[in-house]
Amino acid sequence: MSQSYNRGLIEDFGRWKEFSAGMWAWIFHKFTGWVLIGYLFTHIAVLSSALAGPEAYTETLQGLEALFVVRLLEVGLLAVAVFHILNGIRLLMVDLGIGLDAQDKSFYLSLLITGAIAVASVPTFMTDVGF
Amino acid sequence: MAERYSSFTPGGTAWLLQRVTAVFLIFALAFHFFLLHFVNHAWEIEFAGTQARMQDLGYFITMILFLITATFHGVNGVYNALINQGLTGTPRKVVLAILVLASLALVGQGIWVAIEMRGGLIL
Amino acid sequence: MSTQEQKPEPDTEPEEPESQEAPVEQRAPASPQQRRMQRKASNLAERERQAAEDEAKLEGDTVHLKVFRFDPEVANKQEPRFDDFHVPLERGMTVLDALIYARDEYDSSLTFRHSCRQAICGSDAFFVNGSQRLGCKTQLSELDQPVRVEPLPHQEVVKDLVVDMEHFYDQMHSVEPYMQQEDLPEGDLAEMRQSRENREKIKMSTRCIWCGACMSSCNIAAGDNQYLGPAAINKAYRFAMDEREDEEIKEHRLRIIEQEHGVWRCQTQFSCTEVCPKDIPLTEHIQELKREAVKKNLKFW
Repeated sequence: MSQSYNRGLIEDFGRWKEFSAGMWAWIFHKFTGWVLIGYLFTHIAVLSSALAGPEAYTETLQGLEALFVVRLLEVGLLAVAVFHILNGIRLLMVDLGIGLDAQDKSFYLSLLITGAIAVASVPTFMTDVGF
Repeated sequence: MAERYSSFTPGGTAWLLQRVTAVFLIFALAFHFFLLHFVNHAWEIEFAGTQARMQDLGYFITMILFLITATFHGVNGVYNALINQGLTGTPRKVVLAILVLASLALVGQGIWVAIEMRGGLIL
Repeated sequence: MSTQEQKPEPDTEPEEPESQEAPVEQRAPASPQQRRMQRKASNLAERERQAAEDEAKLEGDTVHLKVFRFDPEVANKQEPRFDDFHVPLERGMTVLDALIYARDEYDSSLTFRHSCRQAICGSDAFFVNGSQRLGCKTQLSELDQPVRVEPLPHQEVVKDLVVDMEHFYDQMHSVEPYMQQEDLPEGDLAEMRQSRENREKIKMSTRCIWCGACMSSCNIAAGDNQYLGPAAINKAYRFAMDEREDEEIKEHRLRIIEQEHGVWRCQTQFSCTEVCPKDIPLTEHIQELKREAVKKNLKFW
């Protein structure tokens, strides 16, 4: 038996540009999922400052909110959450076997709505924050 | 007949639960974001406000459920992502154990914090 | 008016005077046939003229192929590389045609599987310009040049474009892809009749030609070697949905596909559905089996 050649990871990266809607949707969903579960752990950690008393809680939260970076990250988090929700609805439809032919269009629509909501939320999220 | 019960597989249950929690989370996450970023602004949050919200029993229970479902949904998602990458055998069992412990710690800590915010378990 | 008038025909020009002529002369029944023959002859002439024109346009044109080469048994091919071939273009030429030309005319050591050249045997699935396609079903005119031809990804390469299909076949066999009904209907013929509706339901799933394009495109099958893969699950669907098998056999089939490395691994990326050369709605079938499996388990709770 002759040995055979395994092309390994290189071909996987080579294929990225050939990905289609369904694949991109999966990658985005997975990425946003990782962000959200990561955030959940951080979120509970930050809120745990309540255990040190009301003042510590208020100070921690308002201290963080005063930072421009935090506000920026919050807009990002909103975009991530909105996309995960919208694409999640899309995936639930796929699971129910509804509109499988429109799965690519619904992905593009999810992206569009996510973008629109993220942009529209910038004024609200950036109120009263210096650089 | 007993054989039929054994046909019930963990893969299928986890898959279904992932979908069921997803439906709940769609509403819970949208509500949470809307309430704490658009109705109440995040930079104005004070302990008193948090406590007032948490003293509403419905809100308190919703938040606890939100925490539990989100933890399951997220951690199960991570676990499945790893299995899809070909995680098998002992490493897989170790990863599962770590994830379960992390989830329990997160939920436990979260509930403790929520009770603290509420100002005790009084109804 | 005679019947041929109802058929949509691009050039009606030559037959018009003729069809006016026919009723006037009150010809015998042979005349419609004669007219048909005449029309066919003129159409053929037109087509041939068109073909010759196209041929003339293609004259001297070549297609640039970049073909993956690897052979562990030949010293200077142990390091994988791409070879360039410039194959003269012909009208209607497919990727497989070009490969055959390259092998016959330029390098007889160029190795690839092919047999029927009609998208039925499923031997010649390649990775062409970044996607899994059947060589014999892919027109060169649809592709950007140079045309890159590689062996199917995620399967080990044995030589040039030949990959090891053993694992794919193992997965196909693991879903028991054969009729298991034991109780035959009464009567001498003992035919197992299928309703038209049921035939329609499984129609697409029966079209699988075992080419392995879907399995190769599947991101999950690439990572998780135990995953059954789209083709095997589709095969399971073909039998699980076939009403000629009893309910118990269907349950047995669902038990096979609902293992941990069965349907649940599918992430609905639609890659398989997009590359399937027989247009089988693979994702749809996998999703339906997931729902069937969940329903079966809920029933016994």
